[in-house]
Amino acid sequence: MKRISPRMRFRMMNPFLQFFKFIILSIKIMVIVAGGHGGTRKVN
Amino acid sequence: MSKIVILGAGISGHVAASHLRRKLSKEHEVLVVSPNSNYQWIPSNIWVGIGRMKSEKILFPLEPLYKKKNIGYKQAKAVSFYPEGDKSEQKPYVLAEYVAGTNQGQQEKITYDYLINATGPKLNFEATEGLIPGKNKTYSVCTYTHADHAWEGLNDIIQQMKAGKKAKILIGTGHAKSTCQGAAFEYILNVEKELHKHNVRDMAEITWIANEHQLGDFGMDGMLMSYGDMIMKSSELVEMIFEDRNIKWIIGAGVNKIEDGIAYYETLDGEYKVETYDFAMLIPAFSGHGFKAFDKNENDITEKLFKGFMIVDADYTPKPYEEWTVQDWPETYQNPNYKNIYAPGIAFAPPHAISKPRKSANGTDISPAPPRTGMPSGITAKLVADNIIDSIKNGKESLDHKGSLGNMGAACIASAGYGFWDGSGVSITTYPIVPDFVKYPDSHGRHLGKTFGAIGLAGHWLKLMLHYAFLYKAKMRPFWWLIPE
Repeated sequence: MKRISPRMRFRMMNPFLQFFKFIILSIKIMVIVAGGHGGTRKVN
Repeated sequence: MSKIVILGAGISGHVAASHLRRKLSKEHEVLVVSPNSNYQWIPSNIWVGIGRMKSEKILFPLEPLYKKKNIGYKQAKAVSFYPEGDKSEQKPYVLAEYVAGTNQGQQEKITYDYLINATGPKLNFEATEGLIPGKNKTYSVCTYTHADHAWEGLNDIIQQMKAGKKAKILIGTGHAKSTCQGAAFEYILNVEKELHKHNVRDMAEITWIANEHQLGDFGMDGMLMSYGDMIMKSSELVEMIFEDRNIKWIIGAGVNKIEDGIAYYETLDGEYKVETYDFAMLIPAFSGHGFKAFDKNENDITEKLFKGFMIVDADYTPKPYEEWTVQDWPETYQNPNYKNIYAPGIAFAPPHAISKPRKSANGTDISPAPPRTGMPSGITAKLVADNIIDSIKNGKESLDHKGSLGNMGAACIASAGYGFWDGSGVSITTYPIVPDFVKYPDSHGRHLGKTFGAIGLAGHWLKLMLHYAFLYKAKMRPFWWLIPE
């Protein structure tokens, strides 16, 4: 079983590091959401 | 001139009404029929349920906004559908009953040219004996009033723990076929965090109970995801979090009966067990509203419109899990029998579950129903509105806008604790929502670059940002349409 190490926890809760994470996550999510959607069926 | 009637003013109905009004000229009528007088941003109910946000902060009254924006509004609930009209009314209509005001209890035939059914799910508490919000020490966070009650119940148990009482807290799903595990997941993490803040964490035993066969299934068959430099399963991610927070778990459990402080459940192994608790938040089963439909001669044609939820352009042919494909899922949310009726969001009948169906050794179905969260609800509502707008403008049916859950991404920002500096969130994105095992055969049906997880303070900030951004958008403030669904 994977566990959250003290080093991981520090990175998860460090506001300075998390600010950059926030920017990156916002962009990644925006790309996925605004990246479009469509159908899955072939149109004859 | 066209008249578009929208049933429901949740995320889906409100998004559809907003876009229709913005893009259609004033000669066309947009009318919302909803029994709820308020719009509520449901994802923030979690924070209401832990006392960190007042319910007034997540809602606003609909009528003044709709009046200002020239959107019609009737506070009424749909009763039955007449898609061909009847002997005295040529136009199709919905029979609706007012639920408030001077005409409360009166029924009205509301005619339409286009109908958007965005009535969402019925919270089917009755499906589980004794599962009543606020009774038997069980609560819900499905609505803001439920969340208010949940906070009262939680606060009460916190005070008892402060007085020295040990307590058992049970959070998860309250039925063998429940969905929305994500909301329960958020709530259990927030409750755990709050107990720390109140210095009573060591007085509580917290247990997760769910109908998932594996942690992190979330009704989506689980996910294989990127996590930093690693590739991990959603089950491993959730297990890691629960282990870290000292949360116990019971999975593959179909809760079937609640008594005061006792949850009865059946496991996938076929065992019948009980779990006692002092406070429980259990998500009920969702169901359709039980609407009836009639033709112009008043013959019952419910099966042409409903299959629990509303029938749309999905492939409902029963088939085994191994034969399910993304092509089964709808693209336009149009009813095949009555082409001027659409059902985006949660109102449409899914062709089947997403998670593999499982039965207990006794033959009881114990597996999650498919979840349909805010983001796909908004996206599908917007595409339905766009197709109606194009159809009106072109003078002929237009279905150019498509959005299958098999070709759509979603982000789930699950709060894991409230606090600007010490809060946390689990950010999970998934693409596509319904796994496409043909396109992505080696990564459990999903694109690994677009399916990722992250835990940390940034997740809390993201959820907070979404709270304010989506309420701004819902209030139709300047340039609201620039915020994507």
